[in-house]
Amino acid sequence: MSASDPRTELAILLDVGSAWAKAGVIGRVRGEWRLIAHAAQPTAWGSAELRRALVDQLDRSGDPRLTGRYEELLASANRIECHTARRVGRLAVVAVSRELSGSAARRAAEAAGWEIVELVTLDDGRTLADRITTLQAVEVDAWLVAGGFDDAASPRAMEAAALVAATRSRGKGPVVWAGTAALADDVVGLFEPGAATAVANPRADARHEAADALREHLRGLRGTVVQEDEAHLASVALPRAVAELARRGGLRVLAVDVGARAAIAALAEADGSVAVRLHASGGLGGVARSPGATSRVARLSGDAGDEAAVADLLETIRARPATLPETTEELAVTQAAARVAMGAITDEMASGSVDILIGSGRAVACAPHPGQAARMLLDGVRPIGVTQLALDPASLLGPLGSLPDDELGEGLTLMSGDLLAPLGTAIVSRGGEPGGPAMRVTAHRPGWPATGPIQVRVGQIQVLPLPPGQTAELTIEPAAGVSLGAARRSPRIQALATGGAVGIILDARGVPISLPRRVDDRRAVIAGWRDALQREMERVA
Amino acid sequence: MSAVHRVRLPAGAVVLVEVGHTVEPAETLATRRAAHGGASLPIAARLRRPPDGAAELLTVVPGAQVEAGDPLADDGHGHVVTAPEAAIFLAYDRGDGRALLAPLGETEPIVGHVRGEISSVEPDAIEIRIAGALLTGVGGYGRAVHGALSVAVDDPLDELRAGAIDVGASGRILVGGSRASAETLTRARAMGVAGIVLGGILDKELRDFEATQSRRREVGGIGEDFAIIVLEGYGKVGLDVDLFGWFKRHDGHMASLFGGDARLYVYGADAAPARRTFPRAGDRVVAHRRPYAGVGGRLSRVLEMLHATPAGIPARSGLVRFDDGRSAIVPLANLEATEPLTD
Repeated sequence: MSASDPRTELAILLDVGSAWAKAGVIGRVRGEWRLIAHAAQPTAWGSAELRRALVDQLDRSGDPRLTGRYEELLASANRIECHTARRVGRLAVVAVSRELSGSAARRAAEAAGWEIVELVTLDDGRTLADRITTLQAVEVDAWLVAGGFDDAASPRAMEAAALVAATRSRGKGPVVWAGTAALADDVVGLFEPGAATAVANPRADARHEAADALREHLRGLRGTVVQEDEAHLASVALPRAVAELARRGGLRVLAVDVGARAAIAALAEADGSVAVRLHASGGLGGVARSPGATSRVARLSGDAGDEAAVADLLETIRARPATLPETTEELAVTQAAARVAMGAITDEMASGSVDILIGSGRAVACAPHPGQAARMLLDGVRPIGVTQLALDPASLLGPLGSLPDDELGEGLTLMSGDLLAPLGTAIVSRGGEPGGPAMRVTAHRPGWPATGPIQVRVGQIQVLPLPPGQTAELTIEPAAGVSLGAARRSPRIQALATGGAVGIILDARGVPISLPRRVDDRRAVIAGWRDALQREMERVA
Repeated sequence: MSAVHRVRLPAGAVVLVEVGHTVEPAETLATRRAAHGGASLPIAARLRRPPDGAAELLTVVPGAQVEAGDPLADDGHGHVVTAPEAAIFLAYDRGDGRALLAPLGETEPIVGHVRGEISSVEPDAIEIRIAGALLTGVGGYGRAVHGALSVAVDDPLDELRAGAIDVGASGRILVGGSRASAETLTRARAMGVAGIVLGGILDKELRDFEATQSRRREVGGIGEDFAIIVLEGYGKVGLDVDLFGWFKRHDGHMASLFGGDARLYVYGADAAPARRTFPRAGDRVVAHRRPYAGVGGRLSRVLEMLHATPAGIPARSGLVRFDDGRSAIVPLANLEATEPLTD
């Protein structure tokens, strides 16, 4: 290279998912770090092909003085990478009751990223012999036993532990006891030394569930079992990036990543703390096998076909997760499945309004139309109140979250121009009589006449265009019996809305959304919502 | 051509084979004693102690396996409660002074359902090397069956009809086409068919069939001697032409089908047509998504720029000339290249 050759600095941000790999190249453009190329492809195609796709893009649209050198430049560029866990931790859960200890244990295990291979409870309708045979047949990485309250030493809880002691081969997987505290020593003594650990009972009494300690223990255990570099796992990196965003902005931020296999939800508070849920089978591929999910997807996807056709498509998504929807019906089902998956993973998180809701994962972040992405976020999460909606379209959050502590903030700052794609601001209300008034909204933009007041009825969704980079002061007047989440002292609520690819979304469909029973009515209502979100976009364009 | 099959062993299984042994599908590899029902045994009453006090006299811990006559509790003064039969001691109730036992039945065989040579024996699994080809599918039903392969349709896009199944199919593994209805599956089972290999199946029909079989099993009407494997996808999805040709070449070969695991071993078979992601121009391909799911063709060229699907998703795509005469631009992610047969 001669002294007059142009010099450049490049880095590759790589997010390797179970089905799709996403890569972005960042480089200095006029003194700023910007995303200069982005490619996504099935992970199975391999890294060489991904690099070739990036080089092709850069040769076409990058600095022409570097054309022909991008291959070499990318080969030597820094790689900042995160990936989905290559191996899922498999867990068997044995509990006393399906409704109490069983469901608490299941939720904690799922939120910690375990795949539950078998859930056996002493009230599951199976015979004792069936339970023993079932547990003898499972192949798992660990066992979780739960049951009994802390005010008594229940023999049923001991029976649950004994089932594991009788069916687990010695040395085959650690055992976690999350049942009656008084039985901890007895249960631990059933297994070889070091095999069993007792953690706090998530159902210490009949009325309360406190599963934080169990969830954290299981999260740590999963890391031990799957033996992967934690810092580069998407389930660790994405929440770190979201927590940093929340801390820097003093905001409450919820990010939801629905992948092909797993789903991650990270709810970060203004102080930088973050609550994480990881469902190992909670991605699009898991919807097919989730009880009742097929009928929910069929109901939500409007005119995409009957339940049988939806079931076939969900199974196809499970079996061939790297494939793409080609028809509009398939797209509608895929997006409905994403809404169901989002609902499942955010359902158990702490309720309350969030300032920013971020959608990640290909189904959401790469939706053909921003109105579709907004609808997935709104339907899946139902963020009550005033919420900014945004996407992580280039999957940068995960890789940036894998940076060391001292580089994370700088990385987010440097990439702030390309990190998130704003969709706009949603105002989601609940309550009110169907068809009755929900809220009146007036938008004030500097230099523009006020828009409104716009009347929104319960069950309706309306959109006000507000381009990216612009803001509007909103005056929201909820009708009697309608709430935006927080208690209010004034009949009027003032809020700041930021613009985006969709605009200001006035969503009075309630929480949860209720749909008509009749199929034709339901299809008409869903089509109306879809048109409302997409029509306004087209008008702005 | 060989593949390795793994047979999981439950805790307490007794292994009967060694590395190097040649085994047949129905051969016993190990034995186990399964639990049968539950039994409640008075402990405190027999020791003439209060329930709480008798708990301290137990000589076994929950989860322990005991043989008939083994002591369960002993007061040290001649009063001993013994196991009436071989059982797993599960729990002792301090409230009523009774123990819960899971009696163990007679020794039961653990069968590998494959023919091959034992390649490894571990406490929790036996591995068997099989001379033949392994095909994996996208789904299935049932446990393990074995029988001779029999191609039952003329064309890979044909549906397997109930009328095509007669008593001659008994004990065989039928290779169907693009679909089989729940009625066909029910008839196949009734006629003694061991298993069915399909390109596709309607998920609802598979679930309906599973539900009816489950109900019949509950009333003791049938065993678990029928399995299905789905190779390509869900809905009406044909087998790839090359793969169908491979099945026809191996008509009559013995095979072992593991429905729930979606695995099919075909003995003495050469390699099945391989699949490769990321097809290139000129490759024979098979499509996996509607409206071309299961249809084969030739990828005539790869487009230079991204192309949006009718659903609006931009993707790297190629022009495919399908065997049924249609031509379409299809995302490369929805295509697999099929490697040609090597004979």
